[in-house]
Order: sequence, then C-alpha cells, then structure tokens
Amino acid sequence: MSRSAILAGEGLSKQYGSLEVVKGVSISIDSGEFVCLVGKSGCGKTTLLSLLSGLERPTKGDVVLNGKKINGASEDELALFRRENVGFIFQSFNLIPTLSAWENVALPLFPIKMTAEERRRRATELLTQMELGHRMDHLPSALSGGEKQRVAIARALVNRPKIIFADEPTGNLDSATGDAIMDILNRLHSKEGVAILMVTHEVELAKTAERLIRMHDGEVIS
Amino acid sequence: MNLHYLMNELYYQKRRTLTAILGLSIGIALLIILNALSMAYRQAAHAPLKEIGADITVQRPGDVPKDLAGAVFPCSAVTIRQSEVEKIQGLPGIRGVGKALLLWVFDPNRAWIVLGIEQHNTIGPAILRSSVTEGRFIEEGKSEALVEVAYARQFGIKLGDTISVADKKFPVVGFIDASRAAKIAVANVYLPLAEAQQMAASSKGLQSVSPYDPGDVNLLFIKADQEKITPLAASLKNILGKKATVATPDSFLKLLGSLFALSDKFTLAASLIAIIVAILIAFKTMAGNIAERAREIGVLKAVGWTNRNVVTQLLMESVVQCFLAGILGLLIALVVAFGLGFMKVNIPIPWDMAPTPHFLPGGGDQIFKTLRLPIHVPWTLALFSFVLSIVIGGMTGALLGRQIAKIKPSEVLRHE
Repeated sequence: MSRSAILAGEGLSKQYGSLEVVKGVSISIDSGEFVCLVGKSGCGKTTLLSLLSGLERPTKGDVVLNGKKINGASEDELALFRRENVGFIFQSFNLIPTLSAWENVALPLFPIKMTAEERRRRATELLTQMELGHRMDHLPSALSGGEKQRVAIARALVNRPKIIFADEPTGNLDSATGDAIMDILNRLHSKEGVAILMVTHEVELAKTAERLIRMHDGEVIS
Repeated sequence: MNLHYLMNELYYQKRRTLTAILGLSIGIALLIILNALSMAYRQAAHAPLKEIGADITVQRPGDVPKDLAGAVFPCSAVTIRQSEVEKIQGLPGIRGVGKALLLWVFDPNRAWIVLGIEQHNTIGPAILRSSVTEGRFIEEGKSEALVEVAYARQFGIKLGDTISVADKKFPVVGFIDASRAAKIAVANVYLPLAEAQQMAASSKGLQSVSPYDPGDVNLLFIKADQEKITPLAASLKNILGKKATVATPDSFLKLLGSLFALSDKFTLAASLIAIIVAILIAFKTMAGNIAERAREIGVLKAVGWTNRNVVTQLLMESVVQCFLAGILGLLIALVVAFGLGFMKVNIPIPWDMAPTPHFLPGGGDQIFKTLRLPIHVPWTLALFSFVLSIVIGGMTGALLGRQIAKIKPSEVLRHE
C-alpha cells in the first residue's frame, strides 16, 4: 500500500454458499482520489463496495482503511470506525422518512455527545452548500429526487469523512439531476479533497472520475 | 437516544403508534377492570356482615319446635352455650364477640320475632342504634322494647304503648326502620339481651327442643382479623360442631355466583391472560416495527450507530408507547369502572340467617342485600398496571435487541 493510500483491499473474496461473488480482488485508493467501479449488474460491484466500507466481512482477504485493518473488528467497532471515517451515498437515498432534511443530515451525529445547536449548525452549513438552505425543515416526502440525494450527500459529509462510498448515486434520478449530483461529487473531490469510491454501471458517468476500475464476474479486469 | 427522533417516529407513524397504544391499553384496562371487579365483589360480599358490625356470624341449627306456642328457637338457631362462647372469645384472631338471642314468640293473638341484644356492644345488632327513627334506643338495665316501624304501623303500636311479649310487659321506647337495617338479625321487637334470655330460660317448649341455661345465646357476631377469618371459621366449627352455620364474606361471595366472585383463581387466570395479551400485542407491534424498519436500522448502522445506539432508540420508543398505553389503559379502566359503579348487586341472604319464620307472610321469600357495586380502582392497582405497561415496553424492546443486532446493513440496503 502506498503512503498516501486511504483504502486498500488485498485478495478480497466473498462467498455466499457455493457462489463466489467477489474473487480475490486487490484494490487501492489514495487520499483525495475519485475512483469509479464499473461493471454490469450482478458483477459484484456493490458487494466489493460493502467489503471495502466495512459493511460486510470478506470470506478471504484484508481491508485496510485509514491505516487500520478492519476485517477483524467487531460490529460495534466497525460502526464506530464508519462514524469517524466513512460517508455513504445510496441509490435510493435512504433518508429517514420521519426526520426533516437537517435531522437526516445530522443523523450520524445523534449518538455523539454534542449539543443540538452544534448538530444543527453543521447540518445547516452542509445543506446551504447543497443549496437546500430553504428546505431544512422539510420531510423527505416533500423533497424531489435530486433534493433527497443532495440531503444524502450532506449526510455523508457531516462527520467529515476521509472517504465517501457512493453506490449508484444517480441511479434513481433523471439525467439532468444525475448530472447535477455528479457535479457536486466532482466539486467535493476537487475542493474538499475527499476520496470517493463510486459504483456505477453507466460508463459515461464513470468517465468523470480520475480512475476507472472495471469488474466482470467478481473480478477486476482493468 | 435522540428524543426528537423518537417523538417524530411516534407522531408521523400514527397508524403504527395508535395500533400499538390501543392494543396494549386494552390489555392494561382489562387487567385493571378484572381486578377492580373482583375486589368490588369481595367488598360487596362483606356488606351483609359489615352492616351488623361483624366479620363472621355463627348459629347452630337444631330441631323444629314441637309446638308453636310461647317462646321457641327457630330451627336454624338453637342454643350456643356460654362455655362455648368463652372458648370462642379465646381463639387467636378474635377481636370481639357480640351476642344475641333470637326467639319466635307465639302469643295467643300475635307472633313476634324477638331479638335480645347487648345495648352497648358495637359488634352485633346494637349497631341498629343508628336506625332508630322515632323515640330512643333501649337503655341498660331497663326493661323496655324497640319495635320495628312497619310492624308497629301494621298493628297500631304507638310510642309509649306497652306491649306484652310472652306474658311480660314492655314499654315501647322507640321504633327502628328495618328497611335501613341489616338483613341479618332483623326482628319485630328488640329487647335487652337479659330479658330475652329470661324469656328463653322460662319457656318449657323451647327447653324441650334445645336445653337452655341463662347466659346462653343463639347468635354470635364476631369481629376478627381479616387474614384469620378462614382459619377461624374452621376453629368455630370445631367448637360448635360441623353442622354449625358459620357465615363469612367468602360464603356470601359464593352465593353471589358471579364469575368474578367465584374464586381468586379466575381473576388470577383472567389477569394473566390480559397481561399475556398485552405482552403479545407489544411484542408483535415491536417485531412488526423492526421488520418494517429494517432498512432504516440498516442506514443507522451504516452511518455509525452501534447496536447499542439502535437498541436504545427502539427500546425507548417501545417504553414511551407502553407508557402512553398505560395512561390510556388507566383512563379506559376508570371510565368503565365509573359505569360499572351504577350496577346493582343483590346478595342473597341464606334462609337460615333470615329470622322470619317461613310460615309467616314473607317468610318464604328469598331476601337480598342490594347495593351498588362498590367498584373503584385502588391507586396500588393503577400504579402496578402502569409500571407493568412500562416493564412490558422495556422487556419487549430488550428481547428484540437481538433481532435488531442481526440486521446487516449490507443486506437491507442492497437495492438496488
């Protein structure tokens, strides 16, 4: 692993019964790097992302995230590690329907000892950056798809992560809104220096990334 | 635990919240009402004895009088010896004994139900002092009589008249309203106990059926420690014989015939069912809640909530729901109890405790003590149910903690 690498997976495999979904993949992402993982549906992209982010444990291999080998950690240790180092953006936004936009952004901060004012201040700051300052108190049901995804991006940033894992972040959006979301991700990467690992099956979108990793049938092919 | 998140969940998921609260509150209300009903019936069963100032009444059945002439004992109440009374007074748990002598007196032109009473004993018929409607109560050492007001009206007896009972004359010093008095030991004429004892001792007809010495009686009213009533009833039968009629609140409870009055076991079983139903409702709702919110739980874990964070959040939701259900259940129970309080209960008085001879008008009729169901929700029961509802909430949340821990974010967030 190079000195500047924020994330590395060594010989990662994931097996469900007799089905091997990820087959001995080794991957490394540097700090501030924007990497896209592309491939057809079912090729193992999302599983690889889950392994690298500590959401899932590999059958074989090691994951080193921000200098720490995480595959031996307990569930709660992994949760704490994610809280401090990782942000997630999902295809279906996964906002909590009963919480307002700013509360959804502040969700990762709820278990942390912090004043409510400080949580709100951090959420407001990020929502303003996402041009959603006027939608702070709206429930997700009152937001458009693009707005929901911008709230989800703000949530991914609220804990000031070293790396963001984005799983098909534009998959549920029309192309114009998808482009806007990609602009935000590019801006984050270039201005904030956040490393991004994005999974997509759209090769055109992936071209905006610094590096492209192609997967096929559980293996990295290029 | 985030209180705002918790309140939002309960507020915005109205259907889920209301289903859980209503379901559990019905279980809690059922538990309170069943127990309050059982307690009310128990309290009602005390009424016939309580109004005579006693917890137990005792009499001994005997033979039917041979001739209905002069003073006789009703066959349901014959001699209880003075020595037996002394033994009874010495039993542990006895707080006091009231004595009385019930006689049927057949004079040539009139039949009297006569009750000899201890004027100053608060246990037993002297409690009727408060039922004097005119004149005064009989005084110690004086040979005078009280007459039941309806009987006096029927036979034109006036205050200050002299009545002749078993050839002895008594001035009438007061009237008693029997309709306001206890159904046990009601009579037409109330005399000092000593006068009635003298009347019994000098009656040959009475002596031939049930030998009687001065100082003996045929009715006992016993005040006892509540927890010792049942063992005392057995001890009394040991002293007076198995045939002795020992009436306790439990014997009236059995006569009530209500399911709630039948046994503690019924109430216990019904309460347990209510609790189990409440637990199942809470458990089912919470389990459904977790299944429905698996993706949300996955998100929480993905963004860094530990299992403990998630379990605490959902556990507190469950506790708050159950807390609200406890309040609602209590309110429902109070409203239902208020409604049930208008219900009338008829407590049958056994024929052998009713003093009117069956061959006289009204003597064969079943008599009842009628009262409004004395139902209320004691604060201890309310508090118990309330705490129970919160415990159910906590227990359910804690039991489902393992299920929450099993949810893997990678599985529930996979769409996609």
